[in-house]
Amino acid sequence: MLLIRLSLRNLLRQKRRNILLGSAMAIGVAILVVANSFSHGISDIMFNKIMRYVTGHVSVRFNERGGVMREIFRDKERALAAVKGEPVIEESDEAVGMFTRAIGNGRSENIILVGIDTKRNISAKAMKEVQESFRLVEGNWKDVENEALENPVIISSEKARTLNVKMHDIVRVRFRNMFGQDQAARLTVAGIMKNDNIFMQPVVFLELEKEKVLLGYRPFETGSLSLKITDPQKNAAALADRIHDRLKPGTAVIQAVVSGRAGSAPAALLGYKSDDESKAGIRALLKLAAGSFEKAFKKDGVFIPASLAKKLGISAGDTVKLRYDRKFFKDPKEASYTVSAVCSSGCPAGAVLMNDSAFYDLYYEDMPAGAGKTVYPAEKLGAWAALAAPEWILLKRTYNTDEYKKKYQEIARNKWKGTTIDVSTMYETASDILKLEYVLNVITLSAVLVLFFIILLGVVNTLRMTIRERTREIGTVRAIGMQKNEVRDMFLLETFFLTLFASTAGLVLGFAAMWALTLIPITMQDNPLGMLLVNGHLYFLPTFAGIAGNVLLIIAIAVVTAWFPARRAADMSPAKALGHFT
Amino acid sequence: MFLLPLVGRLCAESRVVPILKAIDENYKMKKDIRAEVTLTQQRAGQGTKIIDMAYFRRDSDDAFLIVMNAPENEKGNGYLRVGDNFWMYRINTRTFQHVNRDESIGGTDAHSEDFETRKLNELYGPAVSSGTEKFSEEMLGKVPVYRFEILAKVNDVDYPRQIFWTRRDNNLLLKQESYSLSGTLMQTAYFLKFTQIEGRYVPVKQMFIDEFEKGNKTIVEIANLVPGKLDDKIFTKAHLENLSK
Repeated sequence: MLLIRLSLRNLLRQKRRNILLGSAMAIGVAILVVANSFSHGISDIMFNKIMRYVTGHVSVRFNERGGVMREIFRDKERALAAVKGEPVIEESDEAVGMFTRAIGNGRSENIILVGIDTKRNISAKAMKEVQESFRLVEGNWKDVENEALENPVIISSEKARTLNVKMHDIVRVRFRNMFGQDQAARLTVAGIMKNDNIFMQPVVFLELEKEKVLLGYRPFETGSLSLKITDPQKNAAALADRIHDRLKPGTAVIQAVVSGRAGSAPAALLGYKSDDESKAGIRALLKLAAGSFEKAFKKDGVFIPASLAKKLGISAGDTVKLRYDRKFFKDPKEASYTVSAVCSSGCPAGAVLMNDSAFYDLYYEDMPAGAGKTVYPAEKLGAWAALAAPEWILLKRTYNTDEYKKKYQEIARNKWKGTTIDVSTMYETASDILKLEYVLNVITLSAVLVLFFIILLGVVNTLRMTIRERTREIGTVRAIGMQKNEVRDMFLLETFFLTLFASTAGLVLGFAAMWALTLIPITMQDNPLGMLLVNGHLYFLPTFAGIAGNVLLIIAIAVVTAWFPARRAADMSPAKALGHFT
Repeated sequence: MFLLPLVGRLCAESRVVPILKAIDENYKMKKDIRAEVTLTQQRAGQGTKIIDMAYFRRDSDDAFLIVMNAPENEKGNGYLRVGDNFWMYRINTRTFQHVNRDESIGGTDAHSEDFETRKLNELYGPAVSSGTEKFSEEMLGKVPVYRFEILAKVNDVDYPRQIFWTRRDNNLLLKQESYSLSGTLMQTAYFLKFTQIEGRYVPVKQMFIDEFEKGNKTIVEIANLVPGKLDDKIFTKAHLENLSK
């Protein structure tokens, strides 16, 4: 306590000198706080104001046949079941959007038509965040449900200007639907929103169900899922892993009744993988009684086991009819195929094998009633477990952007017949943003450390001057009983308190600077840097960990720097110190 | 069940189906072909863009190879389809990538599916109104034509509904209107000039007018069309890479 009182008193003895030194430190701390908060703000904007709307914190992406634009999963309830019962999920949205060509009043432009579900209840907090990101200047969000208007939409003021349209004007759009068919529609401007973020300006919101109809979704089908969760940095990866586990596919099977000339019989329809490696495996496994592998490996190729062929009275070249109950329709599906080959051995028992391309055409378009429930027994599959088409292809989890990119490069090199499912978090799809924040912080810290190095030279010099001026004082206190380490600690405490008070002042200065900077309105239309603004103002996000860490670092560096002169002062001989003349 | 006799009568008496089959038959090449294709693309407010490409097609399996020759930013890029596999080649990265049938060729309105030979008769059937095909006899300029409407039987075609005008004497397709799912007229195509190759009529000049965004138009011209057996090595990735150098 005595040392602390002495140190504090000594600080006040050289007011001007300490104020000047402290001010320099305070400015350094203020710069560090502002820069740190700004870089954290950039990450926050990217993750929580852009990526969270573009991909959600966690996304479950479906691509049928690997088609980038074909984001569809044919069994919505099954997809939703994989994300059910997770308390961390705040919202679960269908991410349905399409690039379109829009024609306004004499002008045309590209836009992104995005479906929004205005009918479901969202929390007040979520609503506030949406309203902050997409500020309506005319109209109301609920206007997208207005049945009196033809496809009511909410458009950004920038696009409204480009297309030369106002409220209740018609915008014609052209796009390709989910299946590549040309589609055109008329949209009515029901609301206009303001968005500073240049990347969100092309977005035009249409009510989700209307959008899905335009894109060719049936009511039981879904687009990719975008999940918003609590505490995403903590929960996203673990949630994605759990969803990924739940989405492990089984073997796709259609329980059907197959008919031939002589009668009909129940059979399981399985798809066989038609990549070159699988075809080689099939050749090695099967012995044919009739037909050929060449014909059977074609897109409409069908293998039938000899026992079933005999029962149906058919052989290679004959037509086999199949019939099965569908999951989403009352009437059954009927189709006919030409038998390409009859296998005398090697076929899974009681199963008709189809090329996976044709099999998935049936399976996805007319999902069988037993999908998700009917399991083809593993013991019956045997060697076919690796050769039979799964319900979908679940892509492996990745944990950073580099792995994610490699995964998609690999995907582009392959041809996919089924639906691929990818579960990812926004952190791994955009880990480069985290790297950017890290790099910005490193650059800021480095710059401030250089600044502090200069300041600390001043600290060392000041301390040396102080020690020289107080040499006789040191001799006096040593003579009356103060120990060496106490002398040393006294000087260290002086530096510690000076840095602490300067840092506190620097924090206040930093926060004041941030407050003042956020008051400045900035207009950045058509400028990509506009995405760094929130409502036309700079955005800072100070964090306790960031600020505390930096302040502690500054204090530690100052104290370490003061160590050497303080130790030298402590090592002075009291007799010599007492006899010192300045 | 009571519709069966009606459907049977339609099938038996269809005037559209034989024309579709005739169009298919006419466009089917009995030999491999190579040609130079030029697309002249006009966009409202953006001027004209000319795209040149070399086109090779193998008849036995409908494989094709396209190498872009112009414009400069597309030169050397290519597309190769063999069987079920369709690749896009990018010269700047020297990589092949699997693409889908609706991939745009050289950034144009043409897609890979436009270069496939798919039988019209398998993709489309006659549109019917009150039990009768939508079929009539008209004049297109001074040329007597049949006008009829067809609807898609499958869902992976660009346009689910089309109207054709074909010559009455030889079933050549002269004009085609293509409609979107919502019934909006999206494009009108005119087949302006034909040349006879190996007893088949090939449309060597075609014009596609964008009816949705007025002012957009694409003219397709096919030149130096040479039928004849092409070496199988042409339809390989290695050859495409070599051509692109």
